[in-house]
Amino acid sequence: MKKLFAILLAVLMTATMFVGCGGSSGNEGETGEKDDGVIRIWVGEESADFYQKKCDEYTAAHPEFGYKIEVKGMDTGSVAGTITQDPTAAADIFTVAHDNIGKLAATQCAKPITDETLIAQVLADNPESFQKVIYSNTNGQTYLYGVPYISQALLLYYNKSMVTEEQAKSFEGLREAAQAAGTKAITVTGDDGFNMSFALLARKVSDHSTTVKIYEGADPAAGGSKGECNCQGDDTVAVYRWLQTYAADPNGFKWPSSDGWDADLDKNNLGALAVIGGAWHYNTAKAALGETNLGITLIPTFELTPESVEGLSSVSAGDVFRGGSFADCKCFMINAYSAGSKYAKEQELLMYLSGKEVQNASYLECMNVPAYVGAADFIKQCFEEGKVTESQYNLAATQVSMAEWGIPQPFVTGTLNTYYYSKNAPAVLRAIIDQTAYPTTGDILVQDTTSLEGVRKALYLVEYLWMHGVAPKEFPASLPDKA
Amino acid sequence: MASKSKADPNKKPKGRGFFGSIGKFFSDFVKRFADGSIGTKLSHFIFGAGNFYHKQYVKGALFLLLQIAILAFMILCPTINGTPYGYKALANLTLKNVTEGGQFDPVSGKFAEFSSNCQLMVLFGFVTIAVIIIYFIIWNKNIESSYKADMDRKVGKKPSTIGEDVKTLFDQKFHITMLTPTCIAALVFTVLPTVFMIALAFTSYNDPDMNAAGTKLFGWNGIENFKSVFTGEGSLGVEIKNRFLPVLGWTFIWAIFATLTCYFGGIILALLINKKGLKGKKIFRTIFILTIAVPQFISLLAVRNLLGEYGPINSLLQNLGWIKEPIGFLGQNPGDSEVLAKIMVIIVNMWVGIPYTMLMTSGILMNIPTDLYEAARVDGASTTKMFFKITLPYVVFITTPYLISSFVGNLNSFNTIFLLTGGSPTYPGYAAGGTDLLVTWLYKVTIEQGAYNTGAVIGIFTFLITATITLVTYRRSKAYNEEDTFQ
Repeated sequence: MKKLFAILLAVLMTATMFVGCGGSSGNEGETGEKDDGVIRIWVGEESADFYQKKCDEYTAAHPEFGYKIEVKGMDTGSVAGTITQDPTAAADIFTVAHDNIGKLAATQCAKPITDETLIAQVLADNPESFQKVIYSNTNGQTYLYGVPYISQALLLYYNKSMVTEEQAKSFEGLREAAQAAGTKAITVTGDDGFNMSFALLARKVSDHSTTVKIYEGADPAAGGSKGECNCQGDDTVAVYRWLQTYAADPNGFKWPSSDGWDADLDKNNLGALAVIGGAWHYNTAKAALGETNLGITLIPTFELTPESVEGLSSVSAGDVFRGGSFADCKCFMINAYSAGSKYAKEQELLMYLSGKEVQNASYLECMNVPAYVGAADFIKQCFEEGKVTESQYNLAATQVSMAEWGIPQPFVTGTLNTYYYSKNAPAVLRAIIDQTAYPTTGDILVQDTTSLEGVRKALYLVEYLWMHGVAPKEFPASLPDKA
Repeated sequence: MASKSKADPNKKPKGRGFFGSIGKFFSDFVKRFADGSIGTKLSHFIFGAGNFYHKQYVKGALFLLLQIAILAFMILCPTINGTPYGYKALANLTLKNVTEGGQFDPVSGKFAEFSSNCQLMVLFGFVTIAVIIIYFIIWNKNIESSYKADMDRKVGKKPSTIGEDVKTLFDQKFHITMLTPTCIAALVFTVLPTVFMIALAFTSYNDPDMNAAGTKLFGWNGIENFKSVFTGEGSLGVEIKNRFLPVLGWTFIWAIFATLTCYFGGIILALLINKKGLKGKKIFRTIFILTIAVPQFISLLAVRNLLGEYGPINSLLQNLGWIKEPIGFLGQNPGDSEVLAKIMVIIVNMWVGIPYTMLMTSGILMNIPTDLYEAARVDGASTTKMFFKITLPYVVFITTPYLISSFVGNLNSFNTIFLLTGGSPTYPGYAAGGTDLLVTWLYKVTIEQGAYNTGAVIGIFTFLITATITLVTYRRSKAYNEEDTFQ
């Protein structure tokens, strides 16, 4: 009896391991290739209840739709990785930031949108900048993959009790407030390629111009051509030289502390008076400052100094620039492993979920800023009618306005995203701002990031990393003039 | 303390060794084929034939079913996510016939052919090899079973029935019954993943130029990833060349200091608490044990906040006017002192590690025979002499295996470093920061950068180092060599 019990226990333990480590049996969003009469959707955790409610309304109003809809909240930041690991276990429809479209399409984790009516709606509703980044290529054929429904951009959160509205309009004004408070003017939410885009994508205020190009004209139909990159223009050099001085100023720029950027912003710590962040940082910023102290506005302007333009021909002292942003959209996509028989209904559902009416409702209930052209009018109307608070209005209106100063992350093919973010270009840009060698240990590639030539060399390295993913074996004797 | 015995009565007689065993296997094999009945000869080709010949129908049918199932698996090549098992999986192990996906058919809403998944191709290839090995083990067992029946017949015994065999599995061979599920679990959950990860070290797993996605298609690239540790030309660039030795060096320094400080700190604390005449021993012991009761990660995060830029310690020092700028105790910012951060993590680790050693040593101290001390006192030994001649040898002898496992554990001490400093101070351009150990660097390289091939190389190096140290130190320790002598 004892032996039998011991064997049963051993078998049970082994079986438990197999069951525990085995795949799910279909109730956790597994789609496989079978049509079980359910369309499963993954959206951001904050919007799951809202979209479930909207889907229930739709199925109630359209009994002929024929499918039950289940919505589940997921971390949209990591969902693309989850899907590429195992698309068969992912939902039929999922939402991702548009820069994941290329990767998901190239790995055949997503299937294209083919419904003519849906394509027409997407093209009619969305700004041209979004339309450029929702296509990808499959075997030489270019398809529309993403259906935009939320727009996002960086903006400025500031401490209204220490900074006036006027001071928040410029980096110089912020510094003035910081001098009075004895602290730093501004910080960022991270030193990665996305959060630091405010410097890289800074534009001249007078004509909205920048010479920066990131994979511009990348042609997915031509086997993933990387297009054109430039970050060696005189304006870029001048902006980074200006930022070097601003960062070295005791009341200027600071990197976020290890306690978090919200600890810097916190009214008790006063580590920094303002932070550049996204709409998704709103609640944290509000918690750090309190809603009454929380100011929201465009990323400020700054004026190039004589020192920052020394030796540069295409920019002048006094030129005013505004910090830029990646202006992104979140998109719905259809899982390639979803049953073919659901395909038409999935596209029908996306017509509804990406329509203006649902986007507007999503703004009111979840603070998701709509992606369609003309959303600013609706946002203003909501504020005037008292449907949203002032800071909620500012948040949405500022994002819409910042979109004019930004470009979408132009990643239409799979690897460029990786090249831009993960090949150390952001670290080189940080070394320029900190005026340190790059790297600081081991084989030094750029020793001097303080002089004009040093900054040019470092920016050449950044551009090379974007294009090739590795550092050049040697630098050219004279750097090309890309002003 | 008993002295070391001169002769070792427990020493096992020398076996035939590895090559001897292989030689015996083949000689047995030839012998069985030559001496066996027609049934035994047939079972070399058809599983269970010998059992059928000896009228062991159930056993024969089981062997035959297993042969048919494995052959069907090999020939029919079942697929999962478009990747086959069986003979096709063996062919796929070359990673040469990969497809980048087919045309999309808008009518059916399906792709004509899905892109190859090299991860699955490698994994299924190894699973298939494991199945082939199992096939040969069953093949041998089936011949063995038939030959045993032949021998039984020769001596006039009736070949065992299936019922008798099952009974044996619950009696003389009960160990086999008990170990089988464990072995299967170990094969599936330990051996296969390990072999798979080792294999990845020889691939171009994260080579972004392999395909547009950079995630699924890769090929074999020999020892390139290992060479990149010295040349810096691998997929991780110069990082592995420039950071491997500093990280390895710090890993050793950390492991030595973290182990010794906690070990001797614990012993000293235990001696103090167990000191004769000390009042409130139980209270002191309880206070120190409370630090164990609090989950380690909470303690570490609390200390991280204490030492943070806006933490109480920096605030206090600033309010006292002793410092103007916060001190980067944990190397929070690039440029902060790496040495200070390293010292701090060792000190904080003492706080979470010493109570464990104290607790264990307390138990040992209470069990040291008091007559040893009495005898020493009679001989006029001082307290110091008694500590170094009785207490310390006694404690060290018993805790040597703990000391070794503690050292190896500290080599892989992920929590302390990751939760306290996250590897800071960082060096822009490198994933590995100033306080990163091999294991935390491995985490960053794989989880954050997706460079699984380079991660596998780091993992293999870590394994070689820890395994070598463990084996050498343990086999040379008194606790191993004089296992039965310390009474």
